[in-house]
Amino acid sequence: MVQPNDYNNDFENKWCPGCGNFLILNAMKQAFAAQNIPPEKMMFISGIGQAGKTPHFIQGNIFHTLHGRALPVATGAKTANHDLNIVVNSGDGDCYGEGGNHFLAAIRRNVDITLLVHNNQVYGLTKGQASPTTALGTVTRLQNQGTTSQSFNPMSVALAAGIGFLARGFSGKTEQLTDLIRRAMAYPGFALIDILQPCVSFNKINTQKWYMDRVYDIEETGHDSADFAKAMALAMKWGDKIPTGVLYEQETVPFHQRIKALGKKTLISHAFDARKVSRAIL
Amino acid sequence: MTIDITVKIGGEAGQGIQTIGTLLSQVCHGAGLFIFSVDDFESRIRGGHSFNLLRISDEPVKAPGNGLDILVALDQRTLSLNRDNLAQDAMVILNSDTDVGFKENILSIPLKGLAKEAGGAITANTVAAGAILSILGAPYKILENLLKNRFAAKGEKIINLNTTAAKKGYGAAGEIRFSKKFSWTPQDTGAVIINGSRAIAMGALASDCRFFSFYPMSPATGIMTSVVPFMDKLPIVMEQAEDEIAAVNMAIGASFAGVRSLTATSGGGFCLMTEGLGLAAISETPLVIVNAQRPGPATGLPTRTAQADLLFVLNASQDSFPRFVFAPGSPMEAFELTKKAFALSEKYQVPAIVLTDQFLNNSQVTQENTFVVDENLPTFICHDDDMTDPGQYMRYCFTQDGISPRAIPGRGKAIVRATGNEHNEAGQISEDAENKIAMSKKRNGKCKAMIQEMDLPRVLHGDSNTLLVGWGSSREIIIEACTALRQKGKDVGAVLIKEIWPLDRDRWRDILKDRTFIMVEQNSNCQMGQIISRETGLFYHGAVLKDDGRPLYPEYIIEKTTQIME
Ligand SMILES: Cc1ncc(C[n+]2csc(CCOP(=O)(O)OP(=O)(O)O)c2C)c(N)n1
Ligand code: SF4
Ligand SMILES: [Mg+2]
Repeated sequence: MVQPNDYNNDFENKWCPGCGNFLILNAMKQAFAAQNIPPEKMMFISGIGQAGKTPHFIQGNIFHTLHGRALPVATGAKTANHDLNIVVNSGDGDCYGEGGNHFLAAIRRNVDITLLVHNNQVYGLTKGQASPTTALGTVTRLQNQGTTSQSFNPMSVALAAGIGFLARGFSGKTEQLTDLIRRAMAYPGFALIDILQPCVSFNKINTQKWYMDRVYDIEETGHDSADFAKAMALAMKWGDKIPTGVLYEQETVPFHQRIKALGKKTLISHAFDARKVSRAIL
Repeated sequence: MTIDITVKIGGEAGQGIQTIGTLLSQVCHGAGLFIFSVDDFESRIRGGHSFNLLRISDEPVKAPGNGLDILVALDQRTLSLNRDNLAQDAMVILNSDTDVGFKENILSIPLKGLAKEAGGAITANTVAAGAILSILGAPYKILENLLKNRFAAKGEKIINLNTTAAKKGYGAAGEIRFSKKFSWTPQDTGAVIINGSRAIAMGALASDCRFFSFYPMSPATGIMTSVVPFMDKLPIVMEQAEDEIAAVNMAIGASFAGVRSLTATSGGGFCLMTEGLGLAAISETPLVIVNAQRPGPATGLPTRTAQADLLFVLNASQDSFPRFVFAPGSPMEAFELTKKAFALSEKYQVPAIVLTDQFLNNSQVTQENTFVVDENLPTFICHDDDMTDPGQYMRYCFTQDGISPRAIPGRGKAIVRATGNEHNEAGQISEDAENKIAMSKKRNGKCKAMIQEMDLPRVLHGDSNTLLVGWGSSREIIIEACTALRQKGKDVGAVLIKEIWPLDRDRWRDILKDRTFIMVEQNSNCQMGQIISRETGLFYHGAVLKDDGRPLYPEYIIEKTTQIME
């Protein structure tokens, strides 16, 4: 049996002590071990930011790409070899800002990957500027008169774009998060977990306590994740009470199953047949 | 005597100019003749003024024709625009409802009217083709057979409609004949009519490229449409990305996961791809990009041609890294160089750029069918079996030649870490100063061996006093100009560049030193001339530049070169 420790590596971790990312990393290891997937079968693809560094701190294949571009790279990799277990680690800025167009396109494609957005409502790595999920009016070091854009709601946008699996987690609820990651990976299609994550260095508002006072597990209060309207109502909920858990889950056909050429086997596993190519093109 | 004529079909967009051109090309092809066909289109779907220039000869032709032997004016405007350029004994077919008949070498035919008589206005193009072929002395049978084949799938009714229309065209031309006549005996030369776009698609497939990502942009789109007919026959995936940034990064992702990938775009899209280009470079992921040039900056002239992205592609993306740049001069070269780009990109784990343009991508030419798919495709991938301990595999381990064995993620025990940040041998982020120097050196160190892979420019009459130096798609036009200049007694040779970067300075210098050389380029700032000066220290003595977005013609080069030489 694969153990969470099998996912440890000895590369020096560069996050701030107390950062919520540590707990996300932990939940990831637990979730992969729970599915008995060995590290060499995992593929971590990330963008740029503190979240983007995650793959370096875990054992497995990695591609740490460009700011905002993890999803297209993951789409290409998954198309080339749909047997790969791909988890994408991205930040709120990386995914919803710089990579916003890819976010929408990936949902529409329904690529069978799991997207973990470490949503700390701030640009961590670049030291505390507003991110797309920063609340309107928030004062930052750069936006010293308060931000002037409304915050982006990834949950309602993802639902509106037609996502098949949508969840929200909180780094502070590791057990629940582990379970969410496991379920997201088991889901055949594009799965997003927006993970609320305290940034102890640059977000003094949305702290561990701030979240603890607000998050609740929708499965404890009862929720039908097949009900789109109810999911949308939960997706719009933010403030005193923040719902976590699987908001929406709907059976869909993943991208690679929509493509004829990938019907029988993975793209990579075909042998090059010069004669066949010759016959086809000449 | 060689017969070499040029037919120009002009009118509004949407009038079926291309259809007429294609019909004529196919009839000529069936009779063993050679064609070169260029489209000149505006960026619009209807209206305006567009034309197809079709050169037909009984000897191979590889450049656009410049004379105007037969003008097919689908509207009055085409006639007024071209009246002054007609050759001496030129003939005109004018689409006109009034003044029907033949006078002063103008044959006026009501194309739509005759098409309606034949049973449908949409066959006006077939009527036109019939009239042109009649004037050229081509037996009606040849066109009839072609139409039967072409519409075989559509049934008897459509075939009859078109053959009737063709007959109407023949009838309208009556006994009127152009002064020069081909022999028109059907023959199969084994040659094919092909354009650069299709050749690139074929080259990619022959290279085992299985993933194509793109975002539509003229004139690159034709490459992807050329792949479509093969999608049922070969294991390939094509994905229209949400933008060029996604297109290039998808290709990188697929390549990283072990599948050869291609993306194609034009200058504007290439701008968006530049960060991805750097990612491919630093992560040492093979990547082939086609940049089909059109005039810029920004949107520029969407449907026109240029050679103005050379400096850009050579320098695109930050810092420095090795890359291959190829610029084919014909569909056959496009095929061969696309294959070479794939092989070398994988061998050296560096990006390769194939630089084409609207002219090469879209021009149709009769090409000897010598395309071959190599039986044994060399691949450069390592597996667990090739390693002493897959557990210790390091993606970027230092080696003599800078090439680290490349394993594919998820295919074995070896763990593969690729990173766009500067990294250590294991692929982990490293900010160490020594490491940065060592990694840059490792990557750039590949250049030495890469240079050895490159063919030198082709030199014609290299001992001439004056050399015309050009690159990419203008090759055949320069050759034709050079030949004509020599016939006029000028001591002129040519240097034709198809493999641009990395270049062997010393050997390029050997070709050009002690010679007067004139650059021939389709840009405003003599980009290859700049590169040559920088790399060899030799300065060009003059430049024939064309920056109007239109194709280059031999006559233009002849005229400008003569001026420079005087
Ligand atoms: C093209 C580009 N633009 C800007 C940056 C600088 N940059 C690095 S990370 C980042 C934002 C990170 O914020 P987020 O995605 O929320 O990640 P976090 O650090 O908060 O986890 C920015 C703007 C970059 N690396 N690349
Ligand atoms: S800056 Fe914030 S997000 Fe980044 S490591 Fe520190 S605490 Fe975590
Ligand atoms: Mg953030």
